Amino acid sequence: MKKSASKPRTRTPTKAVLKNSRSEISTANSSRRNGASSGKFPVRKNPHGIPDYRLEVLDCRTVEEWVDGQFRYNIEGDLSAEPPPLRESKYLNKQQSIEIYRYMLLNRKMEQTLENLFKQQKVVGGVYLGLGQEGCSCASAYALGEGDWIGPMIRNQGALLVRGFEPRDVMMQYMAKSGAPTGGRDAGSHFGDKHKRHIAAPISMLGDLIPVLAGVALGARLQGKNIACLTWVGDGGQSTGPTYEGFNFAAVQKLGVILIVENNLWAYSTPVDRQVACKDLANRAIGYGVPGVIVDGTDPNQVYDVTYEAAQRAHAREGATLIEAKMMRMRGHAMHDAATYVPPAYFEYWKKRDPIARMEKYLLEKRWMSTKENSDLIASTQKEIDEDRDFADASPYPEGTTAGERVFCDNSIEIPFLYGKPKVKQSDKKKLRAASDVAHFR
Amino acid sequence: MAPVTYLEAIREGIWEEMERDPAVFCIGEDIGVYGGAFKVTEGFIHHFGSERVIDTPIAEAAIVSAAFGASLTGMRPVAEFQFMDFISCAHNQIINMVAKANYRWDAPAPLVLRGPSGGGVSGGPFHSQNPETYYAHTPGLKVICPATARDAKGLIKAAIRDNNPCLFFEHKFLYRRIKEELPNEDYTVEIGKARMHREGRDVSVITYAAMVYVAQEAADILAKEGIELEIVDLRTVAPLDKEAIANTVKKTNRVIILHEDTKTGGLAGEIAAVINELAFDDLDAPIARIASLDTPVPFSPPLEKFFLPKVEDVVREARRLRAY
Repeated sequence: MKKSASKPRTRTPTKAVLKNSRSEISTANSSRRNGASSGKFPVRKNPHGIPDYRLEVLDCRTVEEWVDGQFRYNIEGDLSAEPPPLRESKYLNKQQSIEIYRYMLLNRKMEQTLENLFKQQKVVGGVYLGLGQEGCSCASAYALGEGDWIGPMIRNQGALLVRGFEPRDVMMQYMAKSGAPTGGRDAGSHFGDKHKRHIAAPISMLGDLIPVLAGVALGARLQGKNIACLTWVGDGGQSTGPTYEGFNFAAVQKLGVILIVENNLWAYSTPVDRQVACKDLANRAIGYGVPGVIVDGTDPNQVYDVTYEAAQRAHAREGATLIEAKMMRMRGHAMHDAATYVPPAYFEYWKKRDPIARMEKYLLEKRWMSTKENSDLIASTQKEIDEDRDFADASPYPEGTTAGERVFCDNSIEIPFLYGKPKVKQSDKKKLRAASDVAHFR
Repeated sequence: MAPVTYLEAIREGIWEEMERDPAVFCIGEDIGVYGGAFKVTEGFIHHFGSERVIDTPIAEAAIVSAAFGASLTGMRPVAEFQFMDFISCAHNQIINMVAKANYRWDAPAPLVLRGPSGGGVSGGPFHSQNPETYYAHTPGLKVICPATARDAKGLIKAAIRDNNPCLFFEHKFLYRRIKEELPNEDYTVEIGKARMHREGRDVSVITYAAMVYVAQEAADILAKEGIELEIVDLRTVAPLDKEAIANTVKKTNRVIILHEDTKTGGLAGEIAAVINELAFDDLDAPIARIASLDTPVPFSPPLEKFFLPKVEDVVREARRLRAY
């Protein structure tokens, strides 16, 4: 929450410039189309009429087989295709694209560092990585405005960085340090910040942030502000009851919840084919009565564009949006899981679709970034991560005796409205009438 | 002023808080045009509008979570369970998302989860339960079980103004059966403080909610025999008023703990442990527990009557302790 002020931070010069350009986004976007060639790559529709922005549609499924008396998964389908280019963004300009790329780098390098810290036994508990999913986390969070909220899950640590937390905050969380946002009271990505960065802290139970984010949007609306509330859920997590309850509530109340279903093919060790019977999880949007779209989750441009449009809908009080982002979890569920149950061909296919490699290629080919600028950026993010690692490593653990504090919020604390005092209307003829004698229950 | 029923007292409390504070709004199933299954919010939608009196899908997990989400923005939601039995559908949201929020990430959750609980109305296994103990066990929650109209109003107002999640267990048997005159002025009742319902020197009955009246009937019978019961109405089961518990034991040296929830793992065990810690030397007799049978709440009137604690149980135990 509070940023530790000990070290003078040297930021990449791009960042300061980019911050400014980003604030112009809402006014400049409609006019600043950067040559999106929609004719070249039309948006197809799936058999249920759901728009599908992907430039390639992988047609395969995970099947069961027995080999030498052992059960294993194999793949049915053709994974030989070469990766397509990124789809051109309708909205992102050069600086914004580079900034998203920078967050993706930061995201990955932070997680690589966490892996090393884990191996050095400096992390308490597990480490959960979003390898292969950085493009989705970073680009979607980047598409929001300032008053908007996010509710991240474990593989959305890039989104935490986009919303203003520092890599050191995440590292201290994993290392259970007193300077961590929760001060060592909860682990890993389980933290939030309601006042400044508008992040709802996740819990381990899946799908539970969806109704919470609906409530945040409801609270904001009562205060006169239509905000976008972005949250993510996996192909595994979306099986839970709160997912349905929460997203249906958002849909029926026309709340600006943006639900990105990160279909990363594996829920721990269970393939998506064992999780759901439908082919595209975006189809569920039809049942909720909200727009649904499919994107390539390893293409930051696609993710940004659809999230940005969903946020525009939220701001215009047009309601919720469901986005299915297809990608793959490129590691096990957590560090302890070697993911040997994943057929190797999946890794080979998706490795070629690494979001960072694709974004790097895109920026270089577009000449939005030179090779030199790229290597400078990579070096500067690495430097930032290394400094944060050292800071987190050197910071102290909490005092054990503080464990009993703050179970309750003191009633002397004033809880402010985040968006302003609600304007309430009351009928003239007030008077609390006596209760009716009609009893539902004898 | 005319006497006000327990139910009307809750209505008045919520209504006044909604008039006083624009942060307060109601959310739940059928609370709008229908006014709630028991009519606690009848007429609210006409006065406050559908923005502040929100009918939801039948989705308790979503109701609790949405209330929590709104509280993150500074609102003070009052969420209704049609019957408190359905709180189990939102158990995860309450104990994991809501109760731990302030501790984990400094996010206070000023919300009220309220609804009718308790038996005696042949509601059967799913419309009669007393699920308060599950939540009294969970750190981070305040659990309130009022027994009188005055307390019901004062405590619902205090719960709405509290910065923490408050679970408010109304007793449906009391809704229209008791009434009393309420103060004209705005008042609250402090959460976590017990109330002396009846003073007596011989045997203490520590209880709450509808069982206060079972104890009262027993006290009337015992008074004729010269046994003076003291009745302590806890009003709040989390936090427990340990001081009041210890004080009454120190005074009478004999104690019965009476509750409508089932016995095993019920609050009586916890209260007995508190007495053990704070007033063991003051006991002149073993602690007696009177609670419902360890069964689901049965439906048929003779079965439910047998299931629930009875006046005779209190009379019998008081005589036993007095003679110990």
